[in-house]
Amino acid sequence: MAELATPTRSAPALAIESLTYRYPTGSSPALADVSLQLVPGEFALLAGRSACGKSTLLLAACGLVPHFHGGELLGGVQVAGIDSLAAGPGELAMAVGYVAQDPETQVVSTTVAAEIELPLEMRGDPPASRARAVEEVGLALAIPHLLGRAVDTLSGGELQRVALAAALVTRPQLVLLDEPTSQLDPVAGDELIWLLRRLNEEWGVTVLLVEHRLERCLAAADRVIAMDSGAIAFDGRPRDFLAWAQDNDRALETPAARMFSLAGIEPLPVGVRDARQTLRGVGIGHPPYPASRRATDPDPTEPVLKAKDLWVELDPGEGARDVLQGLDLTIHRGERIVLMGRNGAGKSTLLRTAAGLVKPVRGKVATPDGIALLTQNPSDYLVRERVGDELPGDGGLAVLRLVGLEHAADADPRDLSGGERQRLALAIALAGRMDGEQLPGLVALDEPTRGMDRARKDELVALIEELSSRGAAALVATHDVEFAAAFAERVVLLGDGVVIADGPAAEVLSGGWYFATEVARVLDLPGVVTPEQGAAALGGERR
Amino acid sequence: MRSAFAYTPRPGPLQAASPAAAVAYLGALVVVCFLYSNPIVLASVGLAVTVAGCLAGARTAVGAALRMAAPLALLITLVNPLVTSRGETVLARLGEWPLLGQVDVTAEALAVGAVLGLRAAVAIVAFAVYSACVDPDRVLRALRPLAHRSALTATLASRLVPVAAGDAARLRDAARLRGPGAAAVGRAAMARRLLAGSLDRAVDVAATLELRGYSQRRSPPRRRFVERLWCLERPQSFNHSRYDRRFYAVGAAVLVAAVTGKLLGADAFAEYPAVAAGTSAATLGLSVLLILSGLAPYRG
Repeated sequence: MAELATPTRSAPALAIESLTYRYPTGSSPALADVSLQLVPGEFALLAGRSACGKSTLLLAACGLVPHFHGGELLGGVQVAGIDSLAAGPGELAMAVGYVAQDPETQVVSTTVAAEIELPLEMRGDPPASRARAVEEVGLALAIPHLLGRAVDTLSGGELQRVALAAALVTRPQLVLLDEPTSQLDPVAGDELIWLLRRLNEEWGVTVLLVEHRLERCLAAADRVIAMDSGAIAFDGRPRDFLAWAQDNDRALETPAARMFSLAGIEPLPVGVRDARQTLRGVGIGHPPYPASRRATDPDPTEPVLKAKDLWVELDPGEGARDVLQGLDLTIHRGERIVLMGRNGAGKSTLLRTAAGLVKPVRGKVATPDGIALLTQNPSDYLVRERVGDELPGDGGLAVLRLVGLEHAADADPRDLSGGERQRLALAIALAGRMDGEQLPGLVALDEPTRGMDRARKDELVALIEELSSRGAAALVATHDVEFAAAFAERVVLLGDGVVIADGPAAEVLSGGWYFATEVARVLDLPGVVTPEQGAAALGGERR
Repeated sequence: MRSAFAYTPRPGPLQAASPAAAVAYLGALVVVCFLYSNPIVLASVGLAVTVAGCLAGARTAVGAALRMAAPLALLITLVNPLVTSRGETVLARLGEWPLLGQVDVTAEALAVGAVLGLRAAVAIVAFAVYSACVDPDRVLRALRPLAHRSALTATLASRLVPVAAGDAARLRDAARLRGPGAAAVGRAAMARRLLAGSLDRAVDVAATLELRGYSQRRSPPRRRFVERLWCLERPQSFNHSRYDRRFYAVGAAVLVAAVTGKLLGADAFAEYPAVAAGTSAATLGLSVLLILSGLAPYRG
C-alpha cells in the first residue's frame, strides 16, 4: 500500500491554482479559473448568489470534486500541502472537515457518539484515544449531553453541531461549512457563528464558510471572497467587500450597510457594533421615532384560520411532549403573516395541524376556506419525471403560468433550480384551487427561504403578494428576520407552543435582540426594521 | 415518526450493558423458547421478556410487539389445524379441500398451533426488547474485528431503514397536500420516488464515508481467527459496564436450568393423540426461575 500523504502545518490551509471545473452533465463550467489561498488560522466567508459556484468550490477543497462527482477539472488544489487530485477525499480527511447544508445527509451512525467517533476509527486510532477525542470535541461544541442520544431524535440545530463535531474530531487544519445556519433559528445561528470564531481563535482552525445571510457572520470574518458565475469577483476585507457590493451587486449588501448607503453615511459597517460606533462618531445618537408600519385592518369577514386552545402532543423519540400548549390564533383574508420562534417552538406543528396532517389532543383549529401548505422540503411534492405530468391539462398550465414555470413543462423536476422546484411544489399544492371561490383562504409556507439569495427571496415575495392580491392570506414560518421584515404585515412569535408576541411586523421585529433585524439592533428604535426605514430615520436626524 | 422498535438510549442496566452481555441474556431466553414446547414454560419466558422490556423502559416497543405478535399467533393457531388433521378430538369436519385433502379440525392441532404461535410471539417480544435497548452501533463495533466491511454495511443499513421510513411518511403527507388539479399519486409513483430518494441518500452516505476517510481506512494488524475472537471477547474499555456480570450470570443460569430441566422432564408436553402438558415440580420450578430472570434489568 502506498504511503499516505500527511498534512503540513506550515503550508497554506488551502491553495487553489487556476481551477476550472465542469460537472459531468454541465453545459458550462461551475468553476472558472479560480485561484485562491487561505493561510492557516484565517476565517474566510464565501459569498455570492445562488448557483454561483460556492458549494462546488467547497467540494473541490474537500476532494469530492472531482473524485466523487466526476467531471472535467483543470488546475490544482492543495490542502495543507496535500495535492487533492493525487490524494482524494479519504486521504484529505486528515486535513479537512466538511459540513454540508443539510446535516441529515451527513449522518451515517445511529448514535451521536458513534457518529463522532467514526472518522477516528477509520483513521485507525486506538479506543482510548478515540474516547478522549470524542469527549473533548463534545465539550468544545457544548454537546456532551447529546453523546448518548440517537441521531434521529435530534433537532436540526443539534444535528448541525453533531455534524460539525464529526468534522472537527480529527482536528483538521481546514473546516468547510456550506450554509450551516440555514436551518437554525436566529439564536442557534448566532451561537454557531461565534462558536466557529472561538474554534478558529483557540484551535487555530482555518474556516471557509458559505452563507447567504451575511449580516450574521460578516463581523466574525477576517476576509470575504465573493463569487459570480463560477469565478472570484472579489477577495478582500469585510469592509471593502461592502463597498464592492454597493457598486457591483446590491443583493449582497447587508441590511445595515444598505441603510448606511441610503443615508449617505461612511464607512459602511461590518456589524451591529461597528454601525453603532460609526453612528456615535458622526454625532447621530437617537434618531426620531418614525411612523411605524401598521398591519392592514383585518377583513371583517369570517377568519380563514381560527385556532382555539389548541394542544398537540408529539413524540420526537424522547417521550411524548406537548408541542402546542393551548395556542390561540386568528387569521383573516388578505393578511401577510410571518410565524417565528426558536427551533422546536411549534411553528411547523401549527401549520401541519392546520392542514389536517396532525390531530390535536385538545382544542380545535379550523380553516373554513381551505388551506394550501408547502412543507419544508418541496422535493417531496415532486414524484414524476416531467413537470407537465405533475400538473396535467389547461388548469395545470394555468397554475404553472402563475408561478412562472410555463416554459418548463417538459423539464424533469430534478433538473430545476431550488427556487424553481419550490415554485413548482407550490403550484402542485394550489392546482385546481385557483379559480374564484376555490382559492384557498390560507396559503402557508414552512421555511421557504432556506438556501435562497436575496433575489430569489424577492421573487418569492412577489409570488405571495400575487396570491394575497387574489384574496388569500399568507402564513410563512421562517427564521429569516430580514425576509420577515420585507414581507410581513404581522408577526406571530411562538415560544414553547404558545403565542408570546403578535403584532405589526415593525413592532415585533424591533422589540428584541434575537428576533430583530440588523437595522433594529443597530438603531434600537421601535418600529424601525428595514434599511429604508432606518435610512429615513437617520436622514431625518441628520437634516 | 420513529419506529416503536428503534433503539432509544436510556440510563438502564440493559442499555448500559455490553452488547455481548445483553445478547447473552436475551439470547438465553430465546433459546429456552425454542428448546421447550411446554406452554407453561413458554408463557413464563414470555412473561420474563415482557417484564424485562418494561423494566428497561421499552414499554412502547413491548406493546407494539404484542400488538404485532397477537394476530400472528392467532393466525398460526388457526392455520395449523388446516394443515394437520392429527388428534383424537375432532371439533369440525370441513370435508375435502383442494391441495389439503380431507380437513378435520382437532383440538390437539389447535393446541399445537397455539404453542407455535406463543413461541413466535415470545421471540418477537424478545427481539423488540433487544432492538429498543441494545445500541446497534455498539453491536456492530463489537463485530468489526471479525468482519469490518460487513459490520459497516449493516451499520449503514440500520441507519437507512428508519430514514427511509421517515421519507415515506413525508411523501405521504405531501401527497395528501396536493391540490385537486394535480395528478394523483399512485402507489407505483410513490414507490419510484421513494426508491429514487433512497438512492440519493445512499450517494450522500457514500460521500460522507469518503469524507470520514473510509477509503483510506487503516487496516488493523492481521490476526488469526482465534485471536480475533479473543478481541471480540475483550470489549473496549468504554464498551462494557458494571452490569455485564449480572446479565452473563442470569443468561448462564437460565441456560443451565433449561438444560437441567430438559433432562429432568420439565418439557413434558404431548401433542398427539391427546394434548397433555406436564406440571411437574421441575416444570414449575423452571418457570419460576424464568419469570425471576425477567427482573435482571431492574436498576436497584
